[in-house]
Amino acid sequence: MKNEPNSTNFLRWFDPRNRKLGTLAFILNRITALGLTLYLFMHLIVLGTLARGPEAYDSFIKLAKTPAILVGETLVIAAGIIHGLNGIRIALNSFGIGTRHQRLIFIGLMVVAAGCIAIFVKSMFFSH
Amino acid sequence: MNETHWRVTFEIFRQKTGQPCHFDEYVMDVDPDEYVLDVVERIWAYNDRSLTFRHACHHSTCGACGMRVNSVEKLSCITPIREVARNGGKVRVEPLRNFPVLSDLVVDMGAFYLRLDDAKFSQVASLKDACLPFERKQQVREDGSYERLVDCLECGMCISACPVALTTPEYLGPGVLAAAQHAFHQSRDTSLLDLVDDQDGVWRCHSAYECTAVCPSNVDPGWRIMDLRKNILRHQISKIFSRRGQSR
Amino acid sequence: MYTSSKKPQEGTFLWLLKIIAGLLIIIILGIHFYVNHLVAPGGLLSYSNVLAYYQNPIIPIMEIIFLIFVVTHALLGLRSIVLDLNPSQAVLRWINIGFVLIGAIAVIYGTWLVFFVVAKGSGA
Repeated sequence: MKNEPNSTNFLRWFDPRNRKLGTLAFILNRITALGLTLYLFMHLIVLGTLARGPEAYDSFIKLAKTPAILVGETLVIAAGIIHGLNGIRIALNSFGIGTRHQRLIFIGLMVVAAGCIAIFVKSMFFSH
Repeated sequence: MNETHWRVTFEIFRQKTGQPCHFDEYVMDVDPDEYVLDVVERIWAYNDRSLTFRHACHHSTCGACGMRVNSVEKLSCITPIREVARNGGKVRVEPLRNFPVLSDLVVDMGAFYLRLDDAKFSQVASLKDACLPFERKQQVREDGSYERLVDCLECGMCISACPVALTTPEYLGPGVLAAAQHAFHQSRDTSLLDLVDDQDGVWRCHSAYECTAVCPSNVDPGWRIMDLRKNILRHQISKIFSRRGQSR
Repeated sequence: MYTSSKKPQEGTFLWLLKIIAGLLIIIILGIHFYVNHLVAPGGLLSYSNVLAYYQNPIIPIMEIIFLIFVVTHALLGLRSIVLDLNPSQAVLRWINIGFVLIGAIAVIYGTWLVFFVVAKGSGA
């Protein structure tokens, strides 16, 4: 364990032990950011099938309806909602708004996020 | 064993310069209402004279005895054993994170103090300016001539708790940014905004607010960093408009 | 003076750009989901559906703007994480060049794809 700051300590960003809710927000923001960035570039590559004609795209859509991909898609939607709502908190705080109530704002936004994710899960898995 | 007599095992971080670190265990008979620092001092006095740690005032004014108690930053002189252990349990005491260890629980805070100087940290402020702006102002004299010590104890616990400070030694850190905000609040000196409008300044903060959570003295560095951002933005916008005004 | 020389790799402008891009992403993504799942019945689940959808001129414009802001926000955010790792100025210079290239390629490729789909749809 290195006691002084060192870039090799980066995994400890994600250690929530003995931390407060703010660190959980920071961890969630960072993990969802990395996940969404990965998704963005994968998504762009996959959409290239549009250029390869209807067969390629339609067979890709068929693949996208398999349960494994649907679960992955749900994770992406959940990550997007969490990152977006937490981003609102960070942006507001950075303009000096609600800084003293950041904890309550985070809890409120995550309740909203849970609700939105539940709606998406219901429409994706249980609406047929 | 009764309510005023507990047996607690203290696991103390040990490391001398250039040597690997380890933990030494000391089984101590304690009063649960004593403070962690009292027991650390007793370990030094009766068990191991080579143990080094910093302390001075014993009443949360000097900020010297910041340590990690069970992995959380605490001012050990005001942390009762009862708060961090149970009878028959363990307490782990470690040095502050994000500072180089000099010896056992003593870390090198030199860089932090020098950066505080850069941020024009003043230990004393008028009663009005010593408070956080949203607090009820204490004003004994109408002319504002009374002063007091500012809240920041320079204990470094905010930097120890900051997740970003884990990876970059260049980051000014919450304590220094809070000092800059306080100095700016008092002087309106815009060179302070230039100092912190930097990749290693306010923009490195990622809103974990651990600094505010561990601060033993009502400084609220998290709030102060966000207030600095707001003031930098305001300053930058006014600079754009004043440049336009001049060019006309 | 302890603090080392001024390092302007992240400042007010880039931070504000990241926040504004983030806000616009939230708004456009909201519209995107609304249109895709509520206005277009059953979603855009076939090639011909997608081609037809892109015939409305607002859609390709919205998608290109969305792409620009998403790529900007993602790369600025990623760069901020890199800055947390205290890279040397030399490494950072290469990372800057790399990120600008990746961003430009992603936007050019995405824009080309949008125009390809629009052309395909109008020809069909």
